[in-house]
Amino acid sequence: MTMNLATAGLRRGIWIGFLVLLAAGPLGYAQRQESRGAEIPRASAPPRAPMQRQPAVVDRSNHGSIRHVDTHVAQRPVEAPRVVEMPHDGIDQHAHVITHHDVDADIGGQRFWHSFVFGARIHGLRPGYFQLTVNGLPYFCDDGIYYQQVGDDYQEVYPPVGADVQELPDGAIEVDAGNVVYYYAGGAFYVQQDGGYVIVPAPIGVIVPELPPGAVPTSVGGWVAYQFNGTYYQPQFVNGVTQYVTISP
Amino acid sequence: MKRLSRISSLATTWGRRVLTFAALTVFVAVSVPAADVKPAEAGGKPVIDAHADELLRRMGDYLAQAQFFSVNAEIWQDVQLASGQIVQAGRTVDLQVRRPNRLHAEVRSTRRNRGLYYDGKSITLLNRVQNFYGSIPAPAGLDEALDVACERFGITMPLEDLIVSDPYQNAIHKAVSGTDLGPVTVLGVPCEHLAFSQGMVDWQIWLEAGASPVPKKIVITYKDEDGAPQYTAIFSNWDFETKLPDFLFNFEPPSGAAKISVAEIKVENQAQKGGGK
Repeated sequence: MTMNLATAGLRRGIWIGFLVLLAAGPLGYAQRQESRGAEIPRASAPPRAPMQRQPAVVDRSNHGSIRHVDTHVAQRPVEAPRVVEMPHDGIDQHAHVITHHDVDADIGGQRFWHSFVFGARIHGLRPGYFQLTVNGLPYFCDDGIYYQQVGDDYQEVYPPVGADVQELPDGAIEVDAGNVVYYYAGGAFYVQQDGGYVIVPAPIGVIVPELPPGAVPTSVGGWVAYQFNGTYYQPQFVNGVTQYVTISP
Repeated sequence: MKRLSRISSLATTWGRRVLTFAALTVFVAVSVPAADVKPAEAGGKPVIDAHADELLRRMGDYLAQAQFFSVNAEIWQDVQLASGQIVQAGRTVDLQVRRPNRLHAEVRSTRRNRGLYYDGKSITLLNRVQNFYGSIPAPAGLDEALDVACERFGITMPLEDLIVSDPYQNAIHKAVSGTDLGPVTVLGVPCEHLAFSQGMVDWQIWLEAGASPVPKKIVITYKDEDGAPQYTAIFSNWDFETKLPDFLFNFEPPSGAAKISVAEIKVENQAQKGGGK
């Protein structure tokens, strides 16, 4: 009786252990087969090199190449705020050429200021506009388009240099000119100042990804160019896509 | 009765030991990787699964030996908007290559439509939307021309990893790990799925099974960029039969086209110059 009970307990343990081993066999076999590339579904992740994440954010001018994955890679500190200074003459015209990718999305969708037509008149302004005074003259501004009152109408005018606004127009494009960061919208160049943004004269030698709305085709030195509010924009292939450099005719 | 209970308890303990041994065996069998796939150690020798390497080499040899080919690709690329949101931008590429020194690509998207021509002497870009074109002098071989275009002018020729003279070496020489994830289908086509890692980039390639081991899909993941964006190319209409005459690669300006300059990139602007080869 005693022996029977003891044997029964031992047998039960051995049988359970044997069954578990039997189940383990195919699992181990499958695991080995996976690593050899056998024709069974694979669930394991590929071996990975240790992550070498660096304390920097990386920009590449173009994606899609293994051969040139390390070419034209710019790094900037993750937390370091951009130094904002007033513009001066020392602009590195190629410092920001890597910012625009060869895709549609980087040139954005339709913004309100894309509809700017110099001299166009409207009878009323949209809700949300605000008034400002620039060089003693009254202006109205609505998301990157500036107006002056003419009788009962409001006439669209070029963005006035010196205009001081609290917020950038929707979709303003950051243009990093090396030591100055501009925000470009509706043919105006803004710089950050005292918690707001001020329109400055168009800097010469910076590259923008699109023309101001209504820029007029012309020729400068035999090359095609576009003129907007006295500033000339010359098309160039930059990183393989057409962009526009501001020039002095 | 007490004795009986002790013996029974002893037997159960032995049973448990056997059970524990069996469980440990299962654990070891499942968790220890097979000998031919080990994680690459930092700075150590690359660990490339032999089967993955063989399949990649087969693809590379197949493309390298082709004197000419054409292929269509649909490209999807993650782009981070100013708001921080990541979206996908799409475009198509129609590519024609004739070794050793001819290339023509048409790149089309909603707003952009571009032609790229390489005739063995120069590379010409054509903006078909605004009718602008610009040329740069180029070396007499495809590999060198691709390097000049990218390193000096920031122009990454579309799908250049398939165009180079040795696609296998081009792809594998910086990989630190690689594995074969097995058979899958891409758009209904049986393929073998390979995954590689090199530095800050992971890349995957799906190779068609069978006699023509061409890529059906490629994904590159940029781990060091915000949001780890991906570049995806899906291929169709591989053609190694239709001959590609000279006129396909010789640029003729369309009527009314204006010539514009091609900006050269300053060396100071490069964190690493020409590090990709």
